[in-house]
Amino acid sequence: MKRSRVITTALVLALGAGVIAFAPLPGASAKPANRHFRVEASAFKYTPATIRVNAGDHVTIDLVSTDVVHGLYVDGYDVSVTADPGRTASLSFVANRTGMFRLRCSVTCGAMHPFMIGKLHVGRNDLLWRALVLTLFAGLAGILLARVREVRQ
Amino acid sequence: MRAESGARLLVVFGAVALAVLTVVAVRVPARAVELRGRLPDDGGWSPGAISARVGEPLTLRMTSDDVVHGFAIGQSARPAVDLLPGKWMTTTVVFDKPGKYTYYCTRWCGPNHWRMRGTIEVTGSGARVLADSVPLFLRLKLDLDQAHPSDLLPAETPTAARAGGLPTPVALDGGDLRTQSPAQVWRALRKHPGNARLTDQQLWDEVAAVWRAATSRERLAEGRQLYRDNCAACHGETGRGDGVMAKALVAGPAADPSGIEHSGMPGMSGHGTVAPTDFTNKRNMLGASAAFLQGKLIRGGMGTGMPYWGPIFTESQLWALVDHLWTFQFDYESGAGSSGASRTTHDSASKPAMRPH
Repeated sequence: MKRSRVITTALVLALGAGVIAFAPLPGASAKPANRHFRVEASAFKYTPATIRVNAGDHVTIDLVSTDVVHGLYVDGYDVSVTADPGRTASLSFVANRTGMFRLRCSVTCGAMHPFMIGKLHVGRNDLLWRALVLTLFAGLAGILLARVREVRQ
Repeated sequence: MRAESGARLLVVFGAVALAVLTVVAVRVPARAVELRGRLPDDGGWSPGAISARVGEPLTLRMTSDDVVHGFAIGQSARPAVDLLPGKWMTTTVVFDKPGKYTYYCTRWCGPNHWRMRGTIEVTGSGARVLADSVPLFLRLKLDLDQAHPSDLLPAETPTAARAGGLPTPVALDGGDLRTQSPAQVWRALRKHPGNARLTDQQLWDEVAAVWRAATSRERLAEGRQLYRDNCAACHGETGRGDGVMAKALVAGPAADPSGIEHSGMPGMSGHGTVAPTDFTNKRNMLGASAAFLQGKLIRGGMGTGMPYWGPIFTESQLWALVDHLWTFQFDYESGAGSSGASRTTHDSASKPAMRPH
Protein backbone atom coordinates (compact mmCIF):
# COMPACT_ATOMS: atom_id res chain seq x y z
CA MET A 1 0.00 0.00 0.00
CA LYS A 2 1.66 3.21 -1.13
CA ARG A 3 1.75 6.38 0.85
CA SER A 4 0.18 8.25 -2.07
CA ARG A 5 -2.76 5.86 -1.91
CA VAL A 6 -3.41 6.81 1.68
CA ILE A 7 -3.25 10.50 0.84
CA THR A 8 -5.64 10.01 -2.07
CA THR A 9 -8.08 8.14 0.15
CA ALA A 10 -7.90 10.87 2.77
CA LEU A 11 -8.46 13.56 0.12
CA VAL A 12 -11.47 11.73 -1.28
CA LEU A 13 -12.92 11.39 2.22
CA ALA A 14 -12.34 15.09 2.93
CA LEU A 15 -14.02 15.98 -0.33
CA GLY A 16 -17.01 13.78 0.59
CA ALA A 17 -17.27 15.51 3.95
CA GLY A 18 -17.17 18.89 2.24
CA VAL A 19 -19.95 17.85 -0.12
CA ILE A 20 -22.13 16.66 2.77
CA ALA A 21 -21.52 19.83 4.75
CA PHE A 22 -21.91 22.42 2.02
CA ALA A 23 -23.61 21.03 -1.08
CA PRO A 24 -26.99 22.60 -1.73
CA LEU A 25 -29.62 20.08 -0.83
CA PRO A 26 -32.35 19.04 -3.23
CA GLY A 27 -35.94 19.67 -2.22
CA ALA A 28 -38.13 22.36 -3.67
CA SER A 29 -38.24 25.36 -1.38
CA ALA A 30 -41.84 26.53 -1.38
CA LYS A 31 -42.70 30.07 -2.37
CA PRO A 32 -42.97 32.39 0.64
CA ALA A 33 -46.56 32.55 1.82
CA ASN A 34 -48.48 34.45 4.47
CA ARG A 35 -49.04 32.05 7.32
CA HIS A 36 -51.49 32.89 10.09
CA PHE A 37 -51.70 31.04 13.40
CA ARG A 38 -53.92 31.40 16.42
CA VAL A 39 -52.10 30.23 19.52
CA GLU A 40 -54.00 29.88 22.77
CA ALA A 41 -51.97 30.38 25.90
CA SER A 42 -53.19 28.86 29.12
CA ALA A 43 -51.50 27.77 32.32
CA PHE A 44 -48.82 26.50 31.35
CA LYS A 45 -49.07 25.45 27.72
CA TYR A 46 -49.53 26.69 24.20
CA THR A 47 -52.19 25.24 21.92
CA PRO A 48 -50.97 24.41 19.32
CA ALA A 49 -47.55 23.91 20.85
CA THR A 50 -45.81 23.28 17.53
CA ILE A 51 -45.84 25.55 14.51
CA ARG A 52 -44.36 24.49 11.15
CA VAL A 53 -43.64 26.99 8.42
CA ASN A 54 -41.46 27.09 5.31
CA ALA A 55 -38.39 29.24 5.13
CA GLY A 56 -39.19 32.76 4.00
CA ASP A 57 -42.84 32.67 5.07
CA HIS A 58 -44.48 35.73 6.57
CA VAL A 59 -45.64 34.40 9.93
CA THR A 60 -48.36 36.07 11.98
CA ILE A 61 -49.20 34.64 15.38
CA ASP A 62 -52.31 35.77 17.23
CA LEU A 63 -51.79 35.13 20.89
CA VAL A 64 -54.97 34.54 22.87
CA SER A 65 -54.71 34.14 26.60
CA THR A 66 -57.42 32.16 28.33
CA ASP A 67 -56.56 32.62 31.99
CA VAL A 68 -53.83 35.07 33.02
CA VAL A 69 -51.43 37.36 31.25
CA HIS A 70 -49.01 35.37 29.08
CA GLY A 71 -46.30 36.19 26.59
CA LEU A 72 -44.71 34.53 23.59
CA TYR A 73 -41.02 34.87 22.82
CA VAL A 74 -39.50 33.27 19.74
CA ASP A 75 -35.95 32.14 20.35
CA GLY A 76 -33.54 32.94 17.55
CA TYR A 77 -35.80 35.63 16.11
CA ASP A 78 -35.86 37.67 19.29
CA VAL A 79 -39.44 38.86 18.90
CA SER A 80 -42.07 38.74 21.60
CA VAL A 81 -45.62 39.73 22.40
CA THR A 82 -47.77 39.89 25.54
CA ALA A 83 -51.49 39.18 25.78
CA ASP A 84 -53.98 39.58 28.60
CA PRO A 85 -57.28 37.69 28.43
CA GLY A 86 -59.62 39.62 26.16
CA ARG A 87 -56.76 41.51 24.53
CA THR A 88 -55.64 39.39 21.63
CA ALA A 89 -52.18 40.48 20.56
CA SER A 90 -50.37 39.56 17.41
CA LEU A 91 -46.79 39.13 16.35
CA SER A 92 -45.38 39.15 12.82
CA PHE A 93 -41.99 38.20 11.48
CA VAL A 94 -40.38 36.75 8.39
CA ALA A 95 -39.13 33.22 8.99
CA ASN A 96 -35.77 33.66 7.30
CA ARG A 97 -33.74 31.44 9.61
CA THR A 98 -34.24 27.73 9.23
CA GLY A 99 -34.24 25.23 12.03
CA MET A 100 -36.16 24.52 15.19
CA PHE A 101 -36.70 27.39 17.60
CA ARG A 102 -38.21 27.43 21.07
CA LEU A 103 -41.33 29.40 21.91
CA ARG A 104 -41.28 30.55 25.49
CA CYS A 105 -43.62 32.45 27.78
CA SER A 106 -42.09 35.88 28.36
CA VAL A 107 -44.30 36.88 31.27
CA THR A 108 -43.98 35.35 34.71
CA CYS A 109 -47.38 33.68 34.79
CA GLY A 110 -47.16 31.25 37.69
CA ALA A 111 -45.33 28.37 39.26
CA MET A 112 -44.66 26.39 36.08
CA HIS A 113 -43.88 29.43 33.94
CA PRO A 114 -40.34 28.26 33.02
CA PHE A 115 -41.80 25.09 31.50
CA MET A 116 -44.31 26.85 29.28
CA ILE A 117 -42.69 26.18 25.94
CA GLY A 118 -43.53 25.41 22.33
CA LYS A 119 -41.66 24.87 19.08
CA LEU A 120 -41.34 26.69 15.80
CA HIS A 121 -40.05 24.64 12.88
CA VAL A 122 -38.85 26.71 9.95
CA GLY A 123 -38.27 24.66 6.81
CA ARG A 124 -36.31 21.45 6.94
CA ASN A 125 -33.68 21.30 9.64
CA ASP A 126 -30.75 21.01 7.20
CA LEU A 127 -28.16 21.59 9.89
CA LEU A 128 -29.40 18.59 11.84
CA TRP A 129 -29.45 16.29 8.82
CA ARG A 130 -26.05 17.38 7.60
CA ALA A 131 -24.64 16.88 11.06
CA LEU A 132 -26.14 13.38 11.29
CA VAL A 133 -24.84 12.30 7.89
CA LEU A 134 -21.47 13.88 8.59
CA THR A 135 -21.18 11.98 11.86
CA LEU A 136 -21.99 8.68 10.18
CA PHE A 137 -19.57 9.53 7.38
CA ALA A 138 -16.81 10.35 9.86
CA GLY A 139 -17.38 7.00 11.61
CA LEU A 140 -17.16 5.11 8.31
CA ALA A 141 -14.12 7.10 7.24
CA GLY A 142 -12.40 6.26 10.52
CA ILE A 143 -13.02 2.56 10.03
CA LEU A 144 -11.81 2.76 6.39
CA LEU A 145 -8.61 4.64 7.26
CA ALA A 146 -7.86 2.23 10.07
CA ARG A 147 -8.17 -0.70 7.66
CA VAL A 148 -5.92 1.04 5.10
CA ARG A 149 -3.28 1.49 7.83
CA GLU A 150 -3.60 -2.16 8.87
CA VAL A 151 -2.96 -3.32 5.32
CA ARG A 152 0.18 -1.09 5.16
CA GLN A 153 1.63 -2.64 8.28
CA MET B 1 -3.51 80.68 72.37
CA ARG B 2 -3.55 79.64 68.77
CA ALA B 3 -4.58 76.13 69.77
CA GLU B 4 -7.48 77.51 71.79
CA SER B 5 -8.84 79.61 68.95
CA GLY B 6 -8.47 76.63 66.65
CA ALA B 7 -10.49 74.52 69.07
CA ARG B 8 -13.16 77.25 69.25
CA LEU B 9 -13.35 77.38 65.48
CA LEU B 10 -13.69 73.63 65.36
CA VAL B 11 -16.57 73.64 67.86
CA VAL B 12 -18.36 76.46 66.01
CA PHE B 13 -17.86 74.69 62.69
CA GLY B 14 -19.15 71.43 64.15
CA ALA B 15 -22.27 73.11 65.55
CA VAL B 16 -23.02 74.87 62.24
CA ALA B 17 -22.52 71.65 60.27
CA LEU B 18 -24.84 69.77 62.63
CA ALA B 19 -27.53 72.45 62.25
CA VAL B 20 -27.23 72.43 58.45
CA LEU B 21 -27.39 68.63 58.31
CA THR B 22 -30.49 68.59 60.52
CA VAL B 23 -32.25 71.15 58.33
CA VAL B 24 -31.35 69.20 55.18
CA ALA B 25 -32.55 65.92 56.69
CA VAL B 26 -35.87 67.47 57.72
CA ARG B 27 -36.33 69.31 54.41
CA VAL B 28 -35.95 66.20 52.27
CA PRO B 29 -38.31 63.60 53.65
CA ALA B 30 -37.67 60.62 51.41
CA ARG B 31 -41.22 59.30 51.65
CA ALA B 32 -40.73 56.09 49.76
CA VAL B 33 -43.45 53.55 50.39
CA GLU B 34 -42.64 49.95 49.61
CA LEU B 35 -45.53 48.30 47.83
CA ARG B 36 -45.61 44.59 47.09
CA GLY B 37 -48.08 42.88 44.81
CA ARG B 38 -49.31 39.34 45.32
CA LEU B 39 -52.18 37.33 43.93
CA PRO B 40 -55.42 38.43 45.61
CA ASP B 41 -55.79 34.97 47.13
CA ASP B 42 -52.42 35.49 48.84
CA GLY B 43 -53.21 38.92 50.19
CA GLY B 44 -53.13 41.20 47.17
CA TRP B 45 -51.33 44.50 47.73
CA SER B 46 -49.32 45.04 50.82
CA PRO B 47 -49.82 47.57 52.22
CA GLY B 48 -53.45 47.76 51.14
CA ALA B 49 -53.80 51.35 52.30
CA ILE B 50 -51.39 54.25 51.89
CA SER B 51 -51.72 57.80 53.14
CA ALA B 52 -50.37 60.88 51.41
CA ARG B 53 -50.73 64.64 51.52
CA VAL B 54 -51.82 67.01 48.79
CA GLY B 55 -48.88 68.47 46.91
CA GLU B 56 -46.30 66.23 48.57
CA PRO B 57 -44.63 63.77 46.22
CA LEU B 58 -45.36 60.19 47.15
CA THR B 59 -42.61 57.84 46.00
CA LEU B 60 -43.60 54.22 45.55
CA ARG B 61 -41.05 51.42 45.30
CA MET B 62 -42.98 48.52 43.87
CA THR B 63 -42.34 44.89 43.11
CA SER B 64 -44.21 41.64 42.70
CA ASP B 65 -43.82 38.61 44.94
CA ASP B 66 -45.26 36.04 42.54
CA VAL B 67 -46.39 36.73 38.97
CA VAL B 68 -46.54 39.79 36.75
CA HIS B 69 -48.86 42.47 38.09
CA GLY B 70 -49.55 46.00 36.96
CA PHE B 71 -50.04 49.18 38.96
CA ALA B 72 -52.31 52.07 38.10
CA ILE B 73 -54.28 54.65 40.04
CA GLY B 74 -57.98 54.99 39.31
CA GLN B 75 -59.37 58.20 37.80
CA SER B 76 -55.97 59.44 36.75
CA ALA B 77 -54.31 59.56 33.38
CA ARG B 78 -51.05 58.03 34.64
CA PRO B 79 -49.96 55.11 32.49
CA ALA B 80 -49.90 51.72 34.16
CA VAL B 81 -46.60 50.32 35.40
CA ASP B 82 -45.85 46.62 34.96
CA LEU B 83 -44.45 44.98 38.08
CA LEU B 84 -42.14 42.07 37.42
CA PRO B 85 -41.22 39.60 40.12
CA GLY B 86 -37.81 40.37 41.55
CA LYS B 87 -37.55 43.81 39.92
CA TRP B 88 -38.14 47.07 41.75
CA MET B 89 -39.98 49.82 39.95
CA THR B 90 -40.09 53.35 41.33
CA THR B 91 -42.71 55.91 40.51
CA THR B 92 -43.56 59.25 42.06
CA VAL B 93 -47.09 60.56 42.33
CA VAL B 94 -48.25 64.03 43.33
CA PHE B 95 -51.91 64.48 44.23
CA ASP B 96 -53.47 67.88 43.72
CA LYS B 97 -56.83 67.02 45.25
CA PRO B 98 -57.58 65.36 48.57
CA GLY B 99 -59.77 62.29 48.66
CA LYS B 100 -59.67 58.54 48.50
CA TYR B 101 -57.93 57.12 45.46
CA THR B 102 -57.93 53.48 44.43
CA TYR B 103 -54.90 51.74 43.01
CA TYR B 104 -55.49 48.49 41.18
CA CYS B 105 -53.82 45.69 39.26
CA THR B 106 -53.77 46.11 35.48
CA ARG B 107 -52.52 42.68 34.42
CA TRP B 108 -54.63 39.54 34.58
CA CYS B 109 -52.76 37.76 37.36
CA GLY B 110 -55.40 35.20 38.32
CA PRO B 111 -59.13 34.54 38.47
CA ASN B 112 -59.62 37.20 41.14
CA HIS B 113 -57.39 39.72 39.42
CA TRP B 114 -59.86 42.60 39.66
CA ARG B 115 -60.13 42.21 43.42
CA MET B 116 -56.52 43.32 43.72
CA ARG B 117 -57.06 46.88 44.83
CA GLY B 118 -55.85 49.25 47.51
CA THR B 119 -56.58 52.81 48.57
CA ILE B 120 -54.56 55.97 48.98
CA GLU B 121 -56.05 58.41 51.46
CA VAL B 122 -54.92 61.88 50.47
CA THR B 123 -55.39 64.57 53.09
CA GLY B 124 -55.01 68.29 52.67
CA SER B 125 -56.95 71.32 51.60
CA GLY B 126 -58.82 71.78 48.37
CA ALA B 127 -61.88 70.44 46.67
CA ARG B 128 -62.11 66.71 47.16
CA VAL B 129 -61.83 64.48 44.16
CA LEU B 130 -65.27 63.12 43.23
CA ALA B 131 -66.68 65.79 45.44
CA ASP B 132 -70.27 66.40 44.40
CA SER B 133 -70.67 63.92 41.60
CA VAL B 134 -73.63 61.81 42.54
CA PRO B 135 -73.99 59.40 39.65
CA LEU B 136 -77.06 59.73 37.50
CA PHE B 137 -78.45 56.32 38.46
CA LEU B 138 -78.55 57.37 42.10
CA ARG B 139 -80.22 60.68 41.31
CA LEU B 140 -82.82 58.78 39.30
CA LYS B 141 -83.11 56.15 42.06
CA LEU B 142 -82.81 53.35 39.52
CA ASP B 143 -83.04 49.80 40.78
CA LEU B 144 -80.11 48.18 39.03
CA ASP B 145 -81.24 44.66 39.88
CA GLN B 146 -84.60 45.05 38.22
CA ALA B 147 -85.03 43.09 35.02
CA HIS B 148 -85.56 45.50 32.15
CA PRO B 149 -86.63 43.53 29.09
CA SER B 150 -87.83 45.42 26.08
CA ASP B 151 -91.09 44.17 24.59
CA LEU B 152 -90.29 45.93 21.32
CA LEU B 153 -87.66 44.41 19.10
CA PRO B 154 -86.42 45.59 15.71
CA ALA B 155 -86.54 43.07 12.89
CA GLU B 156 -82.96 43.86 11.92
CA THR B 157 -80.07 45.89 13.33
CA PRO B 158 -81.07 49.56 13.59
CA THR B 159 -78.78 51.42 11.21
CA ALA B 160 -78.17 55.11 11.72
CA ALA B 161 -77.22 55.73 8.10
CA ARG B 162 -80.60 54.55 6.82
CA ALA B 163 -82.44 57.20 8.78
CA GLY B 164 -82.92 60.43 6.90
CA GLY B 165 -81.20 62.64 9.43
CA LEU B 166 -82.66 63.06 12.88
CA PRO B 167 -86.30 62.36 13.60
CA THR B 168 -89.09 64.78 14.28
CA PRO B 169 -88.45 66.34 17.68
CA VAL B 170 -90.60 64.55 20.20
CA ALA B 171 -91.36 65.18 23.82
CA LEU B 172 -89.53 62.73 26.05
CA ASP B 173 -89.88 62.32 29.77
CA GLY B 174 -87.17 64.36 31.42
CA GLY B 175 -85.56 65.37 28.14
CA ASP B 176 -82.20 63.74 28.97
CA LEU B 177 -81.47 61.03 26.47
CA ARG B 178 -79.25 59.21 28.95
CA THR B 179 -82.27 58.46 31.10
CA GLN B 180 -84.22 56.91 28.22
CA SER B 181 -84.03 53.40 26.91
CA PRO B 182 -84.10 52.94 23.12
CA ALA B 183 -87.49 51.23 23.50
CA GLN B 184 -88.89 54.30 25.29
CA VAL B 185 -87.63 56.63 22.59
CA TRP B 186 -89.02 54.36 19.91
CA ARG B 187 -92.40 54.40 21.59
CA ALA B 188 -92.36 58.19 21.83
CA LEU B 189 -91.52 58.41 18.12
CA ARG B 190 -94.33 56.00 17.30
CA LYS B 191 -96.84 58.08 19.22
CA HIS B 192 -95.91 61.22 17.32
CA PRO B 193 -98.39 61.82 14.47
CA GLY B 194 -95.59 63.12 12.23
CA ASN B 195 -94.09 59.65 12.08
CA ALA B 196 -97.27 57.82 11.13
CA ARG B 197 -96.04 56.98 7.63
CA LEU B 198 -92.78 55.43 8.83
CA THR B 199 -92.41 51.67 9.30
CA ASP B 200 -91.36 50.21 12.62
CA GLN B 201 -87.90 49.39 11.25
CA GLN B 202 -87.49 52.93 9.92
CA LEU B 203 -88.28 54.21 13.39
CA TRP B 204 -85.62 51.93 14.86
CA ASP B 205 -83.17 53.41 12.33
CA GLU B 206 -84.21 56.83 13.62
CA VAL B 207 -83.48 55.72 17.17
CA ALA B 208 -80.01 54.58 16.08
CA ALA B 209 -79.47 57.99 14.47
CA VAL B 210 -80.50 59.72 17.69
CA TRP B 211 -78.07 57.57 19.66
CA ARG B 212 -75.23 58.19 17.22
CA ALA B 213 -75.80 61.93 17.31
CA ALA B 214 -75.37 61.85 21.08
CA THR B 215 -71.82 60.54 20.85
CA SER B 216 -68.73 61.22 18.78
CA ARG B 217 -66.08 59.29 16.91
CA GLU B 218 -63.47 60.07 19.54
CA ARG B 219 -65.66 58.91 22.40
CA LEU B 220 -66.52 55.70 20.59
CA ALA B 221 -62.82 55.07 20.01
CA GLU B 222 -62.06 55.73 23.67
CA GLY B 223 -64.91 53.45 24.73
CA ARG B 224 -63.73 50.70 22.41
CA GLN B 225 -60.24 50.84 23.89
CA LEU B 226 -61.54 50.81 27.47
CA TYR B 227 -63.79 47.88 26.61
CA ARG B 228 -60.92 45.94 25.07
CA ASP B 229 -58.66 46.53 28.04
CA ASN B 230 -61.10 45.94 30.85
CA CYS B 231 -64.25 44.14 29.76
CA ALA B 232 -63.51 41.87 26.80
CA ALA B 233 -61.90 39.19 28.96
CA CYS B 234 -65.34 38.24 30.30
CA HIS B 235 -67.89 39.87 27.99
CA GLY B 236 -65.99 38.84 24.86
CA GLU B 237 -64.37 40.86 22.12
CA THR B 238 -67.65 40.69 20.20
CA GLY B 239 -69.82 41.54 23.23
CA ARG B 240 -71.56 38.18 23.27
CA GLY B 241 -70.69 37.41 26.88
CA ASP B 242 -68.36 34.67 25.67
CA GLY B 243 -64.98 36.04 26.70
CA VAL B 244 -62.17 33.69 27.61
CA MET B 245 -62.85 34.10 31.33
CA ALA B 246 -66.57 33.42 30.91
CA LYS B 247 -65.94 29.69 30.74
CA ALA B 248 -64.73 29.85 34.30
CA LEU B 249 -67.78 31.75 35.47
CA VAL B 250 -70.69 29.55 36.36
CA ALA B 251 -73.80 30.15 34.34
CA GLY B 252 -76.40 31.08 36.91
CA PRO B 253 -79.72 32.90 36.93
CA ALA B 254 -78.45 35.86 34.95
CA ALA B 255 -81.95 37.27 34.63
CA ASP B 256 -82.29 37.35 38.39
CA PRO B 257 -78.98 38.40 39.92
CA SER B 258 -80.52 38.42 43.39
CA GLY B 259 -80.66 34.65 43.30
CA ILE B 260 -77.03 34.32 44.25
CA GLU B 261 -75.74 30.81 44.01
CA HIS B 262 -72.71 29.80 45.99
CA SER B 263 -71.47 27.41 43.38
CA GLY B 264 -68.88 29.83 42.11
CA MET B 265 -65.80 28.89 40.21
CA PRO B 266 -62.98 27.20 42.06
CA GLY B 267 -60.66 29.90 43.23
CA MET B 268 -63.40 32.49 43.22
CA SER B 269 -63.85 33.72 46.72
CA GLY B 270 -67.01 34.36 48.58
CA HIS B 271 -69.59 34.83 45.84
CA GLY B 272 -71.54 32.93 43.33
CA THR B 273 -71.02 34.10 39.78
CA VAL B 274 -73.23 34.27 36.74
CA ALA B 275 -72.44 34.28 33.07
CA PRO B 276 -71.36 37.72 31.84
CA THR B 277 -74.03 39.85 30.19
CA ASP B 278 -74.46 39.43 26.45
CA PHE B 279 -74.51 42.94 24.98
CA THR B 280 -75.82 41.65 21.67
CA ASN B 281 -79.05 40.55 23.41
CA LYS B 282 -81.68 42.96 22.02
CA ARG B 283 -84.31 42.27 24.65
CA ASN B 284 -82.07 43.29 27.54
CA MET B 285 -80.15 46.11 25.94
CA LEU B 286 -82.97 47.98 24.21
CA GLY B 287 -84.83 48.14 27.50
CA ALA B 288 -81.89 49.71 29.33
CA SER B 289 -81.00 53.37 29.57
CA ALA B 290 -77.47 54.76 29.48
CA ALA B 291 -77.85 55.81 33.11
CA PHE B 292 -78.76 52.24 34.02
CA LEU B 293 -75.73 50.82 32.21
CA GLN B 294 -73.46 53.39 33.81
CA GLY B 295 -74.89 52.43 37.20
CA LYS B 296 -74.07 48.79 36.55
CA LEU B 297 -70.49 49.76 35.72
CA ILE B 298 -70.12 51.95 38.79
CA ARG B 299 -71.70 49.56 41.25
CA GLY B 300 -70.62 46.23 39.78
CA GLY B 301 -72.48 43.01 39.86
CA MET B 302 -73.18 42.47 43.56
CA GLY B 303 -72.17 38.84 43.62
CA THR B 304 -72.24 38.11 39.91
CA GLY B 305 -68.47 38.38 39.50
CA MET B 306 -68.75 41.75 37.75
CA PRO B 307 -66.19 44.20 39.16
CA TYR B 308 -67.24 47.65 40.37
CA TRP B 309 -65.57 50.34 38.27
CA GLY B 310 -66.74 53.42 40.16
CA PRO B 311 -63.38 54.23 41.73
CA ILE B 312 -61.41 53.28 38.61
CA PHE B 313 -62.99 55.18 35.71
CA THR B 314 -63.68 58.88 35.44
CA GLU B 315 -67.19 60.09 34.68
CA SER B 316 -66.30 60.72 31.04
CA GLN B 317 -64.64 57.32 30.67
CA LEU B 318 -67.80 55.68 32.00
CA TRP B 319 -69.96 57.50 29.45
CA ALA B 320 -67.54 56.63 26.65
CA LEU B 321 -67.76 53.00 27.66
CA VAL B 322 -71.56 53.11 27.69
CA ASP B 323 -71.48 54.74 24.24
CA HIS B 324 -69.42 51.80 23.01
CA LEU B 325 -71.89 49.28 24.48
CA TRP B 326 -74.64 50.61 22.19
CA THR B 327 -72.54 49.71 19.16
CA PHE B 328 -73.41 46.08 19.89
CA GLN B 329 -77.05 47.02 19.18
CA PHE B 330 -76.87 49.83 16.66
CA ASP B 331 -75.01 50.04 13.39
CA TYR B 332 -73.38 53.47 13.21
CA GLU B 333 -70.99 52.68 10.39
CA SER B 334 -72.43 50.81 7.43
CA GLY B 335 -73.89 52.75 4.53
CA ALA B 336 -72.28 55.90 5.82
CA GLY B 337 -69.23 55.31 3.69
CA SER B 338 -67.69 54.56 7.08
CA SER B 339 -66.28 58.05 7.10
CA GLY B 340 -69.37 59.59 8.57
CA ALA B 341 -70.08 61.27 5.22
CA SER B 342 -73.80 61.20 5.76
CA ARG B 343 -73.55 62.79 9.14
CA THR B 344 -76.11 65.44 9.73
CA THR B 345 -75.42 68.90 10.96
CA HIS B 346 -76.41 67.72 14.41
CA ASP B 347 -73.04 66.37 15.36
CA SER B 348 -71.37 65.01 18.41
CA ALA B 349 -72.51 66.03 21.84
CA SER B 350 -75.42 68.09 20.55
CA LYS B 351 -78.47 66.26 21.72
CA PRO B 352 -81.46 66.03 19.48
CA ALA B 353 -83.95 68.73 20.26
CA MET B 354 -86.18 67.38 22.98
CA ARG B 355 -88.80 69.32 24.77
CA PRO B 356 -89.50 68.39 28.35
CA HIS B 357 -93.19 68.28 29.12
